[in-house]
Amino acid sequence: MKKFKFRFSRRAFAYPYMIFLLVFVVVPLVIILINAFLDDNGKLTFANFAEFFTDAGGGLTVLGNSLIIGLVTTVICLAIGYPCAYLLAKYHASSRVLVLLFILPMWVNFLIRTLSTKAIFMALDVKLGMGTVLFGMVYNYLPYMILPLHTTLVSIDHSYIEASEDLGADKISVFLKTVLPLSLSGILSGVTMTFIPAISTFAISEILSSSKIFLFGDAINMHFSKTTNSFGVGSVMSLVMLVLVVVSNVIVNLTSKDEEVKSAL
Amino acid sequence: MKKFLSVLALLLLVCFALTALVACKTEQKDSLVIYNWADYIFDEDLNEFKQYYKDVTGKNIDITYVTFDTNETMLTRLTKGDSNVDVVCPSEYAIQKLIELDMVEPLYYFDEQAYTDSFVSVNKDKYVHNSENVEPGIIEKVSASDTFGEIEITAEGANKGKKVSMTDYFVPYMYGTLGILYNKYAFERAGIYDEETLNKANWGILFNDDGEGNLLSDKLTGNILMKDSIRDSYAATVFYLYERGKLDGLTDDNGVPYADMSAGELINAVDDNLLEAVKDALTEQKQQLFGYEVDFGKDDLLMGNAIVDLAWSGDALYAVEESWNDELNDGEGDYELAYYVPHTTGNIWFDGWVVPKTHDPDHLDAIKLFINYLNTATSAAENSLAIGYSPAVKASVMLADEDAKATLAEGYAVYAPELWDVVDESGAPLAQEDCDFASWEEFELYFFNNSYFDEEGNEVCYDEISHSNWRYPFAGAEQNADNYRNIDSLGVMRDFGTQNKAVVTAWNYSRSAGVNALPMLGWTALAVAVAVGALFLAIWFKYLKNSRVRK
Repeated sequence: MKKFKFRFSRRAFAYPYMIFLLVFVVVPLVIILINAFLDDNGKLTFANFAEFFTDAGGGLTVLGNSLIIGLVTTVICLAIGYPCAYLLAKYHASSRVLVLLFILPMWVNFLIRTLSTKAIFMALDVKLGMGTVLFGMVYNYLPYMILPLHTTLVSIDHSYIEASEDLGADKISVFLKTVLPLSLSGILSGVTMTFIPAISTFAISEILSSSKIFLFGDAINMHFSKTTNSFGVGSVMSLVMLVLVVVSNVIVNLTSKDEEVKSAL
Repeated sequence: MKKFLSVLALLLLVCFALTALVACKTEQKDSLVIYNWADYIFDEDLNEFKQYYKDVTGKNIDITYVTFDTNETMLTRLTKGDSNVDVVCPSEYAIQKLIELDMVEPLYYFDEQAYTDSFVSVNKDKYVHNSENVEPGIIEKVSASDTFGEIEITAEGANKGKKVSMTDYFVPYMYGTLGILYNKYAFERAGIYDEETLNKANWGILFNDDGEGNLLSDKLTGNILMKDSIRDSYAATVFYLYERGKLDGLTDDNGVPYADMSAGELINAVDDNLLEAVKDALTEQKQQLFGYEVDFGKDDLLMGNAIVDLAWSGDALYAVEESWNDELNDGEGDYELAYYVPHTTGNIWFDGWVVPKTHDPDHLDAIKLFINYLNTATSAAENSLAIGYSPAVKASVMLADEDAKATLAEGYAVYAPELWDVVDESGAPLAQEDCDFASWEEFELYFFNNSYFDEEGNEVCYDEISHSNWRYPFAGAEQNADNYRNIDSLGVMRDFGTQNKAVVTAWNYSRSAGVNALPMLGWTALAVAVAVGALFLAIWFKYLKNSRVRK
């Protein structure tokens, strides 16, 4: 009989975390996977997949809407976030306070922020709907776009820019041919960090549209927690969500060969 | 010496511990585990019940009080068997499910002999059986054939196929109706606050439909709240369809026309034809909605974000009482919100106590005494005061009990020195005009009859519109019969059963419909294209300029 030898090496410090991962990440995933194939009476079935992929409960429509809203949120965040991060990185000396200003809202719980946003909209007589949900998304996820971008932009060696200027590039060329390609990894991780939460959110759409805009996160939430008890379809939807996360991470890791900044997710 | 002292101390400690242990053993304590809705009892410590228990049995009792927030959470915990509770308070349809699964013990509360005889150590001289206090209307309603009738046990085992009556298993606790909570001043401004208009619209208020196919008022568009709960929204929609004749000509799977059904049969006929109609109605309704609410409905109405909400009577009454505004009604003050139970059809629900088969057999006496205690007049008054729903104990029983009356008088700040010492929190006497109600008579009219005396001394219903008693929907009180609903027009909703999945699918479908993000994608693509185009144009111009210089 071979004896299991426990050697106390540095690796041992990782074991508690491995166990934690196993219990709280891997096991729940397996449970979701099993649930996706079970009906109400615990018998094996493919009906859950059929229900989702035939759009009987509107699941596919919701997924489509969520993807679009996530995409639009990401585009807007990028459009606002990139110039912000660029300026923050450019005026590096005084930017510590500025960066802090951008992170400051994150110190307040996001539910409280979202509820206050709703109160402001109501006070201004703004009709709750798609517009307000989009505003809430951009407002909440903008820091997740700015931070990775800022990190990447700050870490660009300034001598690259000087070199290109020495070689006669004008400002636009410097940006397009030097800064932009060098910050691509930051853009990619910013996009993932915005896109994935944006397609799975449920509280923002619930509060800022009074549950009228029903997104993928809302649909999953409904299947699991409200008075429905239909874990099967909910599990299928969670699996779809998981596939989306994996796919976007693979894309990010394939595109950014750069070892320094990989997706934070 | 030091060692000796520490040994002595240790010895003393052990002695103390031992005596404490022995003391515990000699003072025998009974115990009881209660599993109830959150915020659904007057006092979660149940000090008064402990006293009652001691009076009847001479023993002390230890109570563990656990709560749940939805019937589904409770059902999951009970069916998975990971909680050993003695007594639970589910809603009617969950009780039906528990009976079908053969998970609850028959109680026979309404058979006094059987119930009292089963006590082991109760001093029967001091015990009063309170089943007479329970509103008989509820029992009748539950046993009616269009409600639960006979429930068949479907779980495998010795009892499979046995048909039982729900009344043998449960004891009702609280009940209420489903109705429409609305801002009556906003309705007045929209010009629709009159009996005729609203009675014609009925459930259509929630769909902004005036009963003739037109909008009830364009001011309602975007100001209607629906409940984010399948069962309630389903019931309201079915009633609406029925009222509008949209179900005429349709029949259920057995060929019975929907139009011929009673309210009870209608909400329980969950078949595909009906589901399709409900799905379409809910989808169409979305254009009129402010949204769906779970917790914020009352706030949205009080803050003026929305005007109409689908609500349960208890929540609605609480919201109405909160909505008192001194500036309204030309400075005389008035409730801004009101509650309306539509006339033709409606839903009535109730929660009741059942005993799971997994209960501790040693706790049986405590369980039975607890259930019986809840049906005393005082306990009913206290709970009704704390929760806002109507207790299953008859109004006449509470009115005959001085203690119960005093509890209510104090809780509602009624000027009634004959019942309680009319003082404020600091003990200073309260003047009659500082009390919310000037006399017990005034309060009694408000609370039990939902009415008041006008200047000429006529009894006027608080709810001028629907003439229904919010708190006590059952007919039976002698005065003011106008205020009471015909109980036959209220249906009780059964469990969706095998159709549950279909209902969930239909509900999800209508929730997800009506949102189209495609145009937004188009606009974004356009914006990106314009931005990128502008950038390239700028570069191109620059390039042109540069090349010209070079020439």
